[in-house]
Amino acid sequence: MSNCDQFREGIEAYALGALDAEERAAFEAHLATGCAECARAVDEARWLVSQLAYAAPEATPSDMLKGRLLQTVRREGQGAPRAVAAKSAIPLWMWGAVAALLLFSAYSAWHARRLDREIREANQRATALLAEREKTEEELAIARREAMIMMDPASHKIALWGEHAHPETLDAKWHKDLGVCVTGDKVPMPSANHVLQVWFIPKDKDAKPMPSAMVKPDANGKLMLLIMHPPEGMDDTKSIAITEEPAGGSPWPTSTPIWKGDVL
Amino acid sequence: MSLDATLLSRLLQRDVRAFEQLYERHARLVYGLVLRILNHAATSEEVVQDVFLQLWRNAAHYDAQRGPFVPWLLTMARNRALDQLRRKSERQRRLEEQTDHLPEVFTAPDYERALDEKRRAERVRALMASLAPQQKRAIELAYFEGMSHSEIAVALKEPLGTVKSWIRNGLLRLKEGLQQQAKT
Repeated sequence: MSNCDQFREGIEAYALGALDAEERAAFEAHLATGCAECARAVDEARWLVSQLAYAAPEATPSDMLKGRLLQTVRREGQGAPRAVAAKSAIPLWMWGAVAALLLFSAYSAWHARRLDREIREANQRATALLAEREKTEEELAIARREAMIMMDPASHKIALWGEHAHPETLDAKWHKDLGVCVTGDKVPMPSANHVLQVWFIPKDKDAKPMPSAMVKPDANGKLMLLIMHPPEGMDDTKSIAITEEPAGGSPWPTSTPIWKGDVL
Repeated sequence: MSLDATLLSRLLQRDVRAFEQLYERHARLVYGLVLRILNHAATSEEVVQDVFLQLWRNAAHYDAQRGPFVPWLLTMARNRALDQLRRKSERQRRLEEQTDHLPEVFTAPDYERALDEKRRAERVRALMASLAPQQKRAIELAYFEGMSHSEIAVALKEPLGTVKSWIRNGLLRLKEGLQQQAKT
Protein backbone atom coordinates (compact mmCIF):
# COMPACT_ATOMS: atom_id res chain seq x y z
CA MET A 1 0.00 0.00 0.00
CA SER A 2 2.69 2.48 1.05
CA ASN A 3 4.45 1.83 -2.23
CA CYS A 4 1.27 2.78 -4.11
CA ASP A 5 0.71 5.89 -2.00
CA GLN A 6 3.76 7.64 -3.40
CA PHE A 7 2.36 7.30 -6.94
CA ARG A 8 -1.30 8.02 -6.22
CA GLU A 9 -1.10 11.76 -6.83
CA GLY A 10 0.51 11.26 -10.22
CA ILE A 11 -1.91 8.74 -11.70
CA GLU A 12 -4.11 11.31 -13.51
CA ALA A 13 -1.01 13.10 -14.82
CA TYR A 14 0.38 9.76 -16.06
CA ALA A 15 -2.83 9.05 -17.97
CA LEU A 16 -2.67 12.58 -19.38
CA GLY A 17 0.94 12.06 -20.48
CA ALA A 18 2.09 15.02 -18.35
CA LEU A 19 4.53 13.23 -16.04
CA ASP A 20 8.15 14.10 -16.65
CA ALA A 21 10.36 11.27 -17.94
CA GLU A 22 11.85 10.32 -14.59
CA GLU A 23 8.50 10.20 -12.77
CA ARG A 24 6.93 8.29 -15.66
CA ALA A 25 9.72 5.68 -15.65
CA ALA A 26 9.39 5.19 -11.88
CA PHE A 27 5.62 4.75 -12.11
CA GLU A 28 5.87 2.37 -15.05
CA ALA A 29 8.39 0.30 -13.14
CA HIS A 30 5.88 0.11 -10.30
CA LEU A 31 3.10 -0.91 -12.73
CA ALA A 32 5.39 -3.59 -14.12
CA THR A 33 5.43 -5.23 -10.69
CA GLY A 34 1.77 -6.10 -11.38
CA CYS A 35 0.12 -3.72 -8.94
CA ALA A 36 -3.57 -4.33 -9.72
CA GLU A 37 -4.77 -1.37 -7.66
CA CYS A 38 -2.68 1.15 -9.60
CA ALA A 39 -3.51 -0.54 -12.92
CA ARG A 40 -7.22 -0.10 -12.16
CA ALA A 41 -6.66 3.54 -11.18
CA VAL A 42 -4.75 4.16 -14.42
CA ASP A 43 -7.61 2.63 -16.41
CA GLU A 44 -10.13 4.95 -14.81
CA ALA A 45 -7.81 7.96 -15.18
CA ARG A 46 -7.40 7.16 -18.91
CA TRP A 47 -11.16 7.20 -19.27
CA LEU A 48 -11.36 10.51 -17.38
CA VAL A 49 -8.66 12.07 -19.57
CA SER A 50 -10.47 10.91 -22.72
CA GLN A 51 -13.46 13.00 -21.60
CA LEU A 52 -11.39 16.18 -22.10
CA ALA A 53 -11.91 15.65 -25.84
CA TYR A 54 -15.43 16.99 -25.35
CA ALA A 55 -13.92 20.36 -24.42
CA ALA A 56 -12.97 20.79 -28.10
CA PRO A 57 -15.81 22.17 -30.24
CA GLU A 58 -17.14 19.60 -32.69
CA ALA A 59 -16.31 20.35 -36.33
CA THR A 60 -17.45 18.94 -39.65
CA PRO A 61 -14.79 17.42 -41.89
CA SER A 62 -15.16 17.86 -45.66
CA ASP A 63 -17.30 15.51 -47.74
CA MET A 64 -14.13 14.68 -49.65
CA LEU A 65 -12.67 13.00 -46.58
CA LYS A 66 -15.67 10.71 -46.28
CA GLY A 67 -15.49 9.99 -50.03
CA ARG A 68 -11.79 9.08 -49.82
CA LEU A 69 -12.35 6.85 -46.81
CA LEU A 70 -15.28 4.99 -48.31
CA GLN A 71 -13.40 4.50 -51.56
CA THR A 72 -10.48 2.89 -49.70
CA VAL A 73 -12.73 0.83 -47.46
CA ARG A 74 -14.83 -0.46 -50.37
CA ARG A 75 -11.69 -1.45 -52.25
CA GLU A 76 -10.28 -3.27 -49.24
CA GLY A 77 -13.64 -4.81 -48.42
CA GLN A 78 -13.77 -6.65 -51.69
CA GLY A 79 -11.41 -9.26 -50.22
CA ALA A 80 -8.36 -11.07 -51.43
CA PRO A 81 -8.08 -11.92 -55.12
CA ARG A 82 -9.20 -15.40 -56.05
CA ALA A 83 -6.36 -17.93 -56.04
CA VAL A 84 -5.25 -19.32 -59.37
CA ALA A 85 -6.30 -22.92 -59.67
CA ALA A 86 -3.41 -25.32 -59.89
CA LYS A 87 -3.27 -27.79 -62.74
CA SER A 88 -4.64 -31.07 -61.55
CA ALA A 89 -4.02 -34.61 -62.64
CA ILE A 90 -7.55 -35.82 -62.31
CA PRO A 91 -8.11 -39.13 -64.15
CA LEU A 92 -10.73 -39.11 -66.86
CA TRP A 93 -13.03 -41.45 -64.94
CA MET A 94 -13.28 -38.82 -62.18
CA TRP A 95 -14.57 -35.99 -64.39
CA GLY A 96 -18.17 -36.90 -63.67
CA ALA A 97 -17.61 -36.67 -59.94
CA VAL A 98 -15.69 -33.41 -60.37
CA ALA A 99 -18.49 -31.94 -62.47
CA ALA A 100 -21.04 -32.90 -59.77
CA LEU A 101 -18.81 -31.43 -57.13
CA LEU A 102 -18.43 -28.18 -59.10
CA LEU A 103 -22.19 -28.02 -59.56
CA PHE A 104 -22.69 -28.55 -55.84
CA SER A 105 -20.00 -25.97 -55.03
CA ALA A 106 -21.62 -23.43 -57.32
CA TYR A 107 -24.98 -24.03 -55.65
CA SER A 108 -23.38 -23.77 -52.18
CA ALA A 109 -21.62 -20.53 -53.11
CA TRP A 110 -24.86 -19.07 -54.49
CA HIS A 111 -26.72 -20.21 -51.36
CA ALA A 112 -23.99 -18.80 -49.05
CA ARG A 113 -24.05 -15.47 -50.90
CA ARG A 114 -27.82 -15.31 -50.55
CA LEU A 115 -27.60 -16.14 -46.82
CA ASP A 116 -24.81 -13.61 -46.41
CA ARG A 117 -26.93 -10.95 -48.11
CA GLU A 118 -29.94 -11.82 -45.95
CA ILE A 119 -27.83 -11.69 -42.76
CA ARG A 120 -26.35 -8.35 -43.79
CA GLU A 121 -29.80 -6.93 -44.54
CA ALA A 122 -31.15 -8.24 -41.22
CA ASN A 123 -28.16 -6.70 -39.44
CA GLN A 124 -28.78 -3.36 -41.11
CA ARG A 125 -32.48 -3.48 -40.20
CA ALA A 126 -31.62 -4.36 -36.57
CA THR A 127 -29.06 -1.56 -36.40
CA ALA A 128 -31.52 0.94 -37.84
CA LEU A 129 -34.19 -0.15 -35.32
CA LEU A 130 -31.71 0.09 -32.46
CA ALA A 131 -30.69 3.60 -33.53
CA GLU A 132 -34.32 4.61 -33.90
CA ARG A 133 -35.15 3.29 -30.44
CA GLU A 134 -32.20 5.11 -28.87
CA LYS A 135 -33.26 8.31 -30.61
CA THR A 136 -36.89 7.99 -29.51
CA GLU A 137 -35.91 7.27 -25.90
CA GLU A 138 -33.63 10.25 -25.89
CA GLU A 139 -36.30 12.54 -27.39
CA LEU A 140 -38.81 11.34 -24.81
CA ALA A 141 -36.40 12.02 -21.94
CA ILE A 142 -35.75 15.53 -23.29
CA ALA A 143 -39.47 16.27 -23.75
CA ARG A 144 -40.21 15.02 -20.21
CA ARG A 145 -37.48 17.21 -18.77
CA GLU A 146 -38.63 20.26 -20.77
CA ALA A 147 -42.19 19.78 -19.52
CA MET A 148 -41.01 19.52 -15.91
CA ILE A 149 -38.98 22.74 -16.22
CA MET A 150 -41.87 24.60 -17.88
CA MET A 151 -44.48 23.46 -15.34
CA ASP A 152 -42.56 23.49 -12.07
CA PRO A 153 -43.40 26.66 -10.07
CA ALA A 154 -39.83 26.54 -8.74
CA SER A 155 -38.52 27.44 -12.22
CA HIS A 156 -37.33 31.02 -12.57
CA LYS A 157 -38.73 32.85 -15.62
CA ILE A 158 -36.42 35.07 -17.68
CA ALA A 159 -37.74 37.17 -20.59
CA LEU A 160 -35.25 37.47 -23.45
CA TRP A 161 -35.99 40.76 -25.20
CA GLY A 162 -35.29 41.06 -28.92
CA GLU A 163 -32.93 43.75 -30.07
CA HIS A 164 -32.37 45.34 -33.47
CA ALA A 165 -35.05 44.22 -35.89
CA HIS A 166 -36.35 41.35 -33.71
CA PRO A 167 -39.45 42.47 -31.80
CA GLU A 168 -40.37 38.89 -30.79
CA THR A 169 -39.61 37.93 -27.18
CA LEU A 170 -38.24 34.54 -26.15
CA ASP A 171 -38.84 32.96 -22.77
CA ALA A 172 -36.32 31.10 -20.68
CA LYS A 173 -37.11 29.10 -17.58
CA TRP A 174 -34.27 28.12 -15.26
CA HIS A 175 -34.73 25.23 -12.86
CA LYS A 176 -31.88 24.79 -10.40
CA ASP A 177 -31.78 20.99 -10.80
CA LEU A 178 -33.14 20.34 -14.28
CA GLY A 179 -31.56 23.06 -16.43
CA VAL A 180 -32.76 25.87 -18.66
CA CYS A 181 -35.51 25.68 -21.26
CA VAL A 182 -35.70 28.40 -23.96
CA THR A 183 -38.89 28.73 -26.02
CA GLY A 184 -40.14 31.11 -28.69
CA ASP A 185 -42.55 31.53 -31.60
CA LYS A 186 -42.15 33.21 -34.97
CA VAL A 187 -38.38 33.16 -34.54
CA PRO A 188 -36.65 34.08 -37.80
CA MET A 189 -34.31 31.49 -39.29
CA PRO A 190 -30.60 32.45 -38.96
CA SER A 191 -28.77 33.18 -42.22
CA ALA A 192 -27.23 30.36 -44.27
CA ASN A 193 -24.51 28.32 -42.52
CA HIS A 194 -25.32 30.02 -39.22
CA VAL A 195 -27.00 28.93 -35.99
CA LEU A 196 -28.38 30.64 -32.90
CA GLN A 197 -26.08 30.14 -29.89
CA VAL A 198 -26.94 30.68 -26.23
CA TRP A 199 -24.48 32.44 -23.88
CA PHE A 200 -24.44 32.78 -20.10
CA ILE A 201 -22.99 36.19 -19.17
CA PRO A 202 -21.28 36.04 -15.74
CA LYS A 203 -21.71 38.84 -13.17
CA ASP A 204 -17.93 39.01 -12.87
CA LYS A 205 -16.98 41.67 -15.42
CA ASP A 206 -13.60 40.03 -16.04
CA ALA A 207 -15.11 36.63 -16.85
CA LYS A 208 -15.89 35.73 -20.44
CA PRO A 209 -19.38 34.77 -21.68
CA MET A 210 -19.84 31.03 -21.32
CA PRO A 211 -20.78 29.33 -24.65
CA SER A 212 -23.74 26.99 -24.50
CA ALA A 213 -26.10 25.13 -26.82
CA MET A 214 -26.85 25.90 -30.46
CA VAL A 215 -30.27 25.74 -32.11
CA LYS A 216 -32.30 26.64 -35.17
CA PRO A 217 -36.07 27.27 -35.12
CA ASP A 218 -38.25 24.81 -37.04
CA ALA A 219 -39.90 25.68 -40.37
CA ASN A 220 -42.79 27.39 -38.52
CA GLY A 221 -40.43 29.56 -36.49
CA LYS A 222 -40.99 27.57 -33.30
CA LEU A 223 -37.96 27.30 -31.04
CA MET A 224 -37.53 24.90 -28.14
CA LEU A 225 -34.13 24.30 -26.56
CA LEU A 226 -33.11 22.41 -23.45
CA ILE A 227 -29.80 23.24 -21.78
CA MET A 228 -29.25 20.45 -19.31
CA HIS A 229 -26.14 21.83 -17.70
CA PRO A 230 -26.15 25.61 -17.34
CA PRO A 231 -23.62 27.22 -14.98
CA GLU A 232 -24.12 25.88 -11.48
CA GLY A 233 -26.55 28.16 -9.67
CA MET A 234 -28.04 31.37 -11.03
CA ASP A 235 -26.27 33.62 -8.54
CA ASP A 236 -23.14 34.15 -10.60
CA THR A 237 -24.97 34.72 -13.89
CA LYS A 238 -25.97 38.24 -14.89
CA SER A 239 -27.89 37.51 -18.05
CA ILE A 240 -28.65 35.09 -20.86
CA ALA A 241 -28.00 36.17 -24.46
CA ILE A 242 -28.51 34.64 -27.89
CA THR A 243 -26.32 35.53 -30.88
CA GLU A 244 -26.06 34.33 -34.44
CA GLU A 245 -22.86 32.32 -34.97
CA PRO A 246 -21.30 30.30 -37.79
CA ALA A 247 -22.53 26.68 -37.98
CA GLY A 248 -20.78 24.59 -35.33
CA GLY A 249 -20.83 27.46 -32.83
CA SER A 250 -18.10 29.74 -31.52
CA PRO A 251 -15.99 29.72 -28.34
CA TRP A 252 -16.80 33.45 -27.90
CA PRO A 253 -19.55 35.70 -29.35
CA THR A 254 -18.76 37.06 -32.81
CA SER A 255 -21.87 39.26 -33.10
CA THR A 256 -24.01 41.43 -30.84
CA PRO A 257 -26.87 39.63 -29.04
CA ILE A 258 -30.19 39.39 -30.87
CA TRP A 259 -31.99 38.49 -27.63
CA LYS A 260 -30.91 39.23 -24.10
CA GLY A 261 -32.50 38.97 -20.66
CA ASP A 262 -31.29 39.61 -17.12
CA VAL A 263 -31.43 36.68 -14.73
CA LEU A 264 -32.24 39.00 -11.74
CA MET B 1 -25.13 -4.54 -26.81
CA SER B 2 -24.67 -0.86 -27.70
CA LEU B 3 -25.15 0.40 -31.24
CA ASP B 4 -21.40 1.08 -31.54
CA ALA B 5 -20.57 -2.47 -30.43
CA THR B 6 -23.04 -3.86 -32.99
CA LEU B 7 -21.51 -1.77 -35.76
CA LEU B 8 -17.99 -2.81 -34.75
CA SER B 9 -18.92 -6.47 -34.83
CA ARG B 10 -20.15 -5.88 -38.39
CA LEU B 11 -16.80 -4.30 -39.29
CA LEU B 12 -15.26 -7.71 -38.66
CA GLN B 13 -17.44 -8.98 -41.51
CA ARG B 14 -16.08 -6.13 -43.70
CA ASP B 15 -19.45 -4.38 -43.72
CA VAL B 16 -18.84 -1.02 -45.44
CA ARG B 17 -22.25 0.33 -44.44
CA ALA B 18 -21.44 -0.29 -40.76
CA PHE B 19 -18.17 1.62 -41.22
CA GLU B 20 -20.05 4.50 -42.83
CA GLN B 21 -22.48 4.61 -39.88
CA LEU B 22 -19.62 4.64 -37.35
CA TYR B 23 -18.01 7.48 -39.31
CA GLU B 24 -21.29 9.44 -39.40
CA ARG B 25 -21.73 8.96 -35.64
CA HIS B 26 -18.26 10.02 -34.52
CA ALA B 27 -16.42 11.94 -37.29
CA ARG B 28 -17.44 15.39 -36.00
CA LEU B 29 -16.23 14.64 -32.48
CA VAL B 30 -12.94 13.11 -33.67
CA TYR B 31 -12.31 15.85 -36.25
CA GLY B 32 -13.12 18.57 -33.70
CA LEU B 33 -10.57 17.10 -31.28
CA VAL B 34 -7.84 16.70 -33.92
CA LEU B 35 -8.48 20.18 -35.34
CA ARG B 36 -8.23 21.65 -31.83
CA ILE B 37 -4.81 20.01 -31.45
CA LEU B 38 -3.38 20.71 -34.91
CA ASN B 39 -5.26 23.88 -35.84
CA HIS B 40 -4.85 22.99 -39.53
CA ALA B 41 -7.78 21.61 -41.52
CA ALA B 42 -5.93 19.61 -44.20
CA THR B 43 -3.50 17.93 -41.76
CA SER B 44 -6.37 17.23 -39.36
CA GLU B 45 -8.32 15.48 -42.12
CA GLU B 46 -5.28 13.31 -42.86
CA VAL B 47 -5.09 12.29 -39.22
CA VAL B 48 -8.84 11.58 -39.04
CA GLN B 49 -8.54 9.48 -42.21
CA ASP B 50 -5.70 7.54 -40.61
CA VAL B 51 -7.71 6.97 -37.42
CA PHE B 52 -10.78 5.63 -39.22
CA LEU B 53 -8.70 3.44 -41.54
CA GLN B 54 -6.96 1.97 -38.49
CA LEU B 55 -10.40 1.30 -37.08
CA TRP B 56 -11.47 -0.46 -40.29
CA ARG B 57 -8.30 -2.53 -40.52
CA ASN B 58 -7.95 -3.35 -36.82
CA ALA B 59 -11.51 -3.51 -35.50
CA ALA B 60 -10.65 -6.87 -33.92
CA HIS B 61 -8.21 -5.03 -31.63
CA TYR B 62 -11.13 -3.37 -29.86
CA ASP B 63 -12.63 -5.55 -27.14
CA ALA B 64 -16.13 -4.38 -26.21
CA GLN B 65 -16.01 -6.50 -23.04
CA ARG B 66 -13.09 -4.44 -21.70
CA GLY B 67 -14.41 -0.92 -22.08
CA PRO B 68 -16.48 1.60 -24.02
CA PHE B 69 -15.66 2.41 -27.65
CA VAL B 70 -15.76 6.20 -27.88
CA PRO B 71 -13.09 6.92 -25.21
CA TRP B 72 -10.82 4.40 -26.96
CA LEU B 73 -11.41 6.07 -30.34
CA LEU B 74 -10.76 9.52 -28.86
CA THR B 75 -7.54 8.32 -27.23
CA MET B 76 -6.34 6.92 -30.56
CA ALA B 77 -7.21 10.22 -32.29
CA ARG B 78 -5.45 12.32 -29.63
CA ASN B 79 -2.31 10.14 -29.73
CA ARG B 80 -2.08 10.42 -33.50
CA ALA B 81 -2.73 14.15 -33.54
CA LEU B 82 -0.08 14.78 -30.84
CA ASP B 83 2.39 12.61 -32.76
CA GLN B 84 1.68 14.70 -35.84
CA LEU B 85 2.14 17.86 -33.77
CA ARG B 86 5.55 16.67 -32.64
CA ARG B 87 6.39 15.86 -36.28
CA LYS B 88 7.76 12.44 -35.61
CA SER B 89 10.26 10.98 -38.02
CA GLU B 90 9.14 8.88 -40.95
CA ARG B 91 10.50 5.75 -39.29
CA GLN B 92 8.49 6.35 -36.14
CA ARG B 93 5.41 7.11 -38.24
CA ARG B 94 5.75 3.74 -39.94
CA LEU B 95 5.98 2.07 -36.56
CA GLU B 96 2.82 3.83 -35.48
CA GLU B 97 0.91 2.36 -38.38
CA GLN B 98 1.36 -1.08 -36.91
CA THR B 99 -1.47 -2.58 -34.96
CA ASP B 100 0.42 -2.69 -31.70
CA HIS B 101 0.52 1.09 -31.62
CA LEU B 102 -3.23 1.21 -31.06
CA PRO B 103 -4.12 2.21 -27.52
CA GLU B 104 -5.30 -0.40 -25.09
CA VAL B 105 -9.01 -0.54 -24.42
CA PHE B 106 -9.55 0.69 -20.89
CA THR B 107 -12.38 0.00 -18.49
CA ALA B 108 -14.58 2.91 -17.53
CA PRO B 109 -16.22 3.58 -14.16
CA ASP B 110 -19.72 2.19 -13.68
CA TYR B 111 -21.31 5.62 -14.00
CA GLU B 112 -20.05 5.89 -17.64
CA ARG B 113 -23.15 3.99 -18.76
CA ALA B 114 -25.45 6.53 -17.14
CA LEU B 115 -23.83 9.48 -18.93
CA ASP B 116 -25.70 10.95 -21.87
CA GLU B 117 -23.18 10.66 -24.70
CA LYS B 118 -24.47 13.60 -26.67
CA ARG B 119 -24.72 16.04 -23.78
CA ARG B 120 -21.65 15.29 -21.72
CA ALA B 121 -19.83 17.80 -23.98
CA GLU B 122 -21.88 20.59 -22.41
CA ARG B 123 -20.90 19.39 -18.94
CA VAL B 124 -17.18 19.08 -19.75
CA ARG B 125 -17.14 22.56 -21.37
CA ALA B 126 -19.01 24.10 -18.44
CA LEU B 127 -16.61 22.49 -15.96
CA MET B 128 -13.58 23.66 -17.90
CA ALA B 129 -15.02 27.17 -18.14
CA SER B 130 -15.52 27.20 -14.38
CA LEU B 131 -11.79 26.66 -13.70
CA ALA B 132 -9.45 29.57 -13.05
CA PRO B 133 -7.97 30.73 -16.39
CA GLN B 134 -4.39 29.58 -15.59
CA GLN B 135 -5.61 26.20 -14.30
CA LYS B 136 -7.70 25.69 -17.43
CA ARG B 137 -4.73 26.70 -19.59
CA ALA B 138 -2.48 24.19 -17.79
CA ILE B 139 -4.89 21.33 -18.52
CA GLU B 140 -5.31 22.45 -22.13
CA LEU B 141 -1.53 22.57 -22.64
CA ALA B 142 -1.23 19.02 -21.29
CA TYR B 143 -4.18 17.54 -23.18
CA PHE B 144 -4.24 19.44 -26.47
CA GLU B 145 -0.51 20.17 -26.82
CA GLY B 146 0.93 17.12 -25.06
CA MET B 147 3.14 19.14 -22.71
CA SER B 148 4.65 17.69 -19.52
CA HIS B 149 4.40 19.29 -16.09
CA SER B 150 7.83 20.90 -16.46
CA GLU B 151 7.10 22.27 -19.93
CA ILE B 152 3.83 23.77 -18.70
CA ALA B 153 5.56 25.33 -15.68
CA VAL B 154 8.02 27.03 -18.05
CA ALA B 155 5.29 28.09 -20.51
CA LEU B 156 3.10 29.61 -17.78
CA LYS B 157 6.01 30.86 -15.65
CA GLU B 158 4.53 29.16 -12.60
CA PRO B 159 6.15 26.85 -9.96
CA LEU B 160 6.16 23.16 -10.91
CA GLY B 161 4.24 22.18 -7.75
CA THR B 162 1.48 24.67 -8.57
CA VAL B 163 1.10 23.27 -12.08
CA LYS B 164 0.88 19.71 -10.74
CA SER B 165 -1.82 20.70 -8.24
CA TRP B 166 -3.80 22.63 -10.85
CA ILE B 167 -3.86 19.68 -13.23
CA ARG B 168 -4.71 17.06 -10.62
CA ASN B 169 -7.38 19.14 -8.89
CA GLY B 170 -8.89 20.15 -12.23
CA LEU B 171 -9.16 16.52 -13.34
CA LEU B 172 -10.65 15.46 -10.00
CA ARG B 173 -13.22 18.24 -10.35
CA LEU B 174 -14.06 16.98 -13.84
CA LYS B 175 -14.50 13.48 -12.40
CA GLU B 176 -16.84 14.74 -9.67
CA GLY B 177 -18.83 16.73 -12.22
CA LEU B 178 -19.29 13.71 -14.47
CA GLN B 179 -20.28 11.56 -11.48
CA GLN B 180 -22.91 14.16 -10.55
CA GLN B 181 -24.21 14.26 -14.11
CA ALA B 182 -24.56 10.47 -14.12
CA LYS B 183 -26.78 10.71 -11.03
CA THR B 184 -29.20 13.26 -12.55
